[in-house]
Amino acid sequence: MSWLEPHILSNLVTLGLLAGLVFAARVVRAQRLWREAAVELWRRRRFAILVVGVYLLIGLADSVSWTGGVPDDAVGVLPNAPLSVLDRAFLDSREASYSAPFAAVEFYGGDALRHPGGHPLGTDILGRDVFYLSLKGARVALLIGGLTSLIAIPLALLFGVCAGYFGGRFDDFVFFLISTMASMPSLLLLIALIMVMGRSTFSVCIALAVTGWVGFCRLTRAETLKLRELDYIQAARALGVSEAKIIFRHILPNLAHLIVITFVLMFSGLVLSEAVLSWLGIGVDGSWGQMIDGARDELSRQPVVWWNIAAAGSALFGLILAVNSVGDAVRDVLDPRTARES
Amino acid sequence: MKHEQMSGGHRAVNAGCAKTTLRRAQGGVLSAIRGPSDFASCLLGIGLAIIFSLSACSNDPYPPEDGEAKVLYSSFDAAPRTLDPATAYTTKAHSVTGVVYDTLLKYHFLKRPLELMPGLAVDLPLVTPLEGGRTRYRFTLREDLLFADDDCFELNGEGRRTREIVSADIAFQLMRLADPLIGSPVAETFANIDGFVEFAAALEAYREEDPAFADLAAHEQYAAAGGVRGIEMPSRYVLDITLHRAYPQIKYWFAMEFTTPVPWEAIAYYTGQDGRPRFDDHPVGAGPFVLSEYDKQSRYVLSKNPNWYGVRHPEWKAPAAIFPTEGDEEDRRSGRMAYAGRSLPLIDRVVVVREKESIPRFNKFLQGYYDASGVIKESFDSVIQGDGLSAEMEGLGMRLGKAVSPDVFYIGFNMNDEVVGRSNGESSRKIRQAMSLAVDSEEFLRIFQNGRGVPAQSPLPPGIYGYESGYENTFRRPNIERAKELMTEAGYQNGIDPTTGEALTLTFDTSSTSTAGLNQVRFYTNAWRQLGIDVQIDGTTYNQFQEKLRQGDYQIFQFGWVADYPDPENFLFLLWSKMGKSDFGGPNATNFSDARFDELFVSMKARDNGPQRIAEIEEMLSILERERPWIELFHREDYSLYQGWVKNVKPMGLSIPTYQYRDIDPTSRSDKRKAWNEPVQWPAYLLLLAGVMVIVPGVLTYFKERQ
Repeated sequence: MSWLEPHILSNLVTLGLLAGLVFAARVVRAQRLWREAAVELWRRRRFAILVVGVYLLIGLADSVSWTGGVPDDAVGVLPNAPLSVLDRAFLDSREASYSAPFAAVEFYGGDALRHPGGHPLGTDILGRDVFYLSLKGARVALLIGGLTSLIAIPLALLFGVCAGYFGGRFDDFVFFLISTMASMPSLLLLIALIMVMGRSTFSVCIALAVTGWVGFCRLTRAETLKLRELDYIQAARALGVSEAKIIFRHILPNLAHLIVITFVLMFSGLVLSEAVLSWLGIGVDGSWGQMIDGARDELSRQPVVWWNIAAAGSALFGLILAVNSVGDAVRDVLDPRTARES
Repeated sequence: MKHEQMSGGHRAVNAGCAKTTLRRAQGGVLSAIRGPSDFASCLLGIGLAIIFSLSACSNDPYPPEDGEAKVLYSSFDAAPRTLDPATAYTTKAHSVTGVVYDTLLKYHFLKRPLELMPGLAVDLPLVTPLEGGRTRYRFTLREDLLFADDDCFELNGEGRRTREIVSADIAFQLMRLADPLIGSPVAETFANIDGFVEFAAALEAYREEDPAFADLAAHEQYAAAGGVRGIEMPSRYVLDITLHRAYPQIKYWFAMEFTTPVPWEAIAYYTGQDGRPRFDDHPVGAGPFVLSEYDKQSRYVLSKNPNWYGVRHPEWKAPAAIFPTEGDEEDRRSGRMAYAGRSLPLIDRVVVVREKESIPRFNKFLQGYYDASGVIKESFDSVIQGDGLSAEMEGLGMRLGKAVSPDVFYIGFNMNDEVVGRSNGESSRKIRQAMSLAVDSEEFLRIFQNGRGVPAQSPLPPGIYGYESGYENTFRRPNIERAKELMTEAGYQNGIDPTTGEALTLTFDTSSTSTAGLNQVRFYTNAWRQLGIDVQIDGTTYNQFQEKLRQGDYQIFQFGWVADYPDPENFLFLLWSKMGKSDFGGPNATNFSDARFDELFVSMKARDNGPQRIAEIEEMLSILERERPWIELFHREDYSLYQGWVKNVKPMGLSIPTYQYRDIDPTSRSDKRKAWNEPVQWPAYLLLLAGVMVIVPGVLTYFKERQ
């Protein structure tokens, strides 16, 4: 078995992200300004941060997977297939078709279930536990939000800072690019990109990043334009410090609060965009958007099958609300103009 | 009143009606008010006006004078792209062309399995074998048949509205099928006619060489190109068709609109220029109905054709122009036989209204404004209970028609593939057999189709010659244990591929990308997962899917096939190696090729129904059972609802409309409509009361302040 199995890669990436998180925590602890901001944030939005934390934990539980350790009689499990912690917790939860939350019999036909009362959110048309599917959606949502931001923000920073700092022809070029991108209907561009690249998680993330970096780029360009005229940067330049060093030492750290704020606010927007894409039939497999899309016909059934859309909808709502609420507080705390008000 | 606004049911309509009246009344009267007493009488007037308008307000979308007429009401969701009988090949289009155009042969309305009988022809064709394996079919047309009245016949002289149908009109249409510019989807079939392909080539060559030729009218071009060798007209009413190879199924094509008589005048006249519609949108035929009104956006009307031979010559008692006199026990019980011998059509008009959404359409059916409806998924459980209608629907006098449609849905394996195809020999055969054993069609139908459908045992659906209800395919009865054994025998114990040590991974290509569509595919992949086979779903657009098929880059796919005519050849040719997708671009997407199967197919194709044909079909089915290029899934079952006042409903499948046989009881219909659409008036009165409560104090204050 090679080392580049997808699930091992995923485990490594998860490990890397965890390490990054620990490192970030250490940085925040070490610097007084960041530490104070973190404490203030925790004081203001304790509950929302906890909620985001729970989503993160669920996503984590679905990201770490390994093979083996599955009883031979488990139904519908492929041999030697990697299973995550979450998969193992719901290993044998399948039914034949729809069943209502906590029901003991099937929704249509009334046959006995294999796990009477064992599905707190019922099962979907293929008999999959809706609670399990909703939990699995957390990883997809975090992946979309996180991966897309990781592509879009560096892209925006690169163009924005360079354009703002160096000005001239390059600035003209970047501004032309930004204006061109901004004048295209983003939804159509998204659909076209996904159609060209094929439907996969990665291509959806790239498409979202390509259409999403423009706003932040404009922001960083403007901020850099302002920063480069400040006294300490003029001084550094007069002392002969290299351009690269000025950007990394003086400009990027002063954009850090903008990056954090944009990341948090962008995140929720991206998760929602994916839901829209799913509704158009080009979303990511296993996302809440797809669950909502699949529930289209279910709502017009009689009697109505409501638990699928309700579960996916509230999971989506919970994450977006918590992230937005944290994001709001992050901006208040980090933005020097609003930091004093409390 | 327009239809679209009425989708909310009669309650919303009544409220809307009252509201507009109220506004109009206010505008007209308030300006004339001079004092409180005026005001009181005015209010009384408004109230009376509203009550008056309410009692006149009805949600009937049709003109009241049609209430007692023999008019059938139906609906469509989108207009057919074309009504040209040479190219129209959809159920939607056939529901118009099937009654506007008439054919030499027709199907018997009551007999099952379907049986041919003469239509425009005097009798069934006279078949004569000729030397060199050729066969001649002689059709004799009835005399004194007329086309429907139409402007295009003025080309023959001022004031001419119609003309007699002759055998040349059918020959003209057959030549249109060959015309590469028209691009008929069935040209392939008619290539069995002697000289058909050569004619198409000659036509193309003439057009390229001589621009003046291309400017001639179609019938002049065909004549100049020399016609088709195998189509001869010994007299005005006799048509000889010569096939250069045996193809007995050709007779079924003479019961389809592709071979209807088409007047050359219509093609020359309806060109889409000078404000005249295109022939696509303006059929000129000889059927029992004419398309008297055609608005693609809102409605079309089929009216009785006074020129139809059944109407002009009831004394002929032509078999396709009278209600059949032979029927089975069920026909007697349902009262159809009471119509035996009556001349057709029984109704005067069919009004077909555009209805884009299924729920409003069904609601209007429940209100009595449509005479028939399919059963929509949303209300399936409130309409159907067990095997029949729910008590509520029975109480409304509705009736349920069930018919297994002549189609088959199947999962196919690409036999050119290295894993599941023939190059893997015995091992791949066992994989296919195991995968076939894992798929439970009955469960699929229960979950996704509300149980509508028949699990398929072979490609042949019920009602097709060669179908046997007792036949059970050993690999189509779900048996996971046996399937696992077969996987072990194939060398994949627990589904593990010995070369990689991991689950056998296959790809299912599908053209559906919606969540609901993918769920259906997931049903199959979940079933195969039980065998340890990891089947990945590759959902692409339909065009990309077609592209993959063309390139042979696929393993597993799902398709459906609907019969053109009731003959086993029309199903089994899908597995004939000469129809192979990769080699010949034909519809055999599995690329299945088996020497014995091919041999049997060629022999069965040319044979008339009989014990020998049955034996050949049986052997072919047993080859398919063993080789498993297909996993036969199911045959669909159509459920339709009919109002109690609609008589003589007997679906034929094959998208053949039967409007001319229908009858309705308009008296019962208008009574029921009245009873089902009793206006609910209290919301209007409530609104009126609320209005008064708002206006009265305001106006009183106004007068008080003025004094």
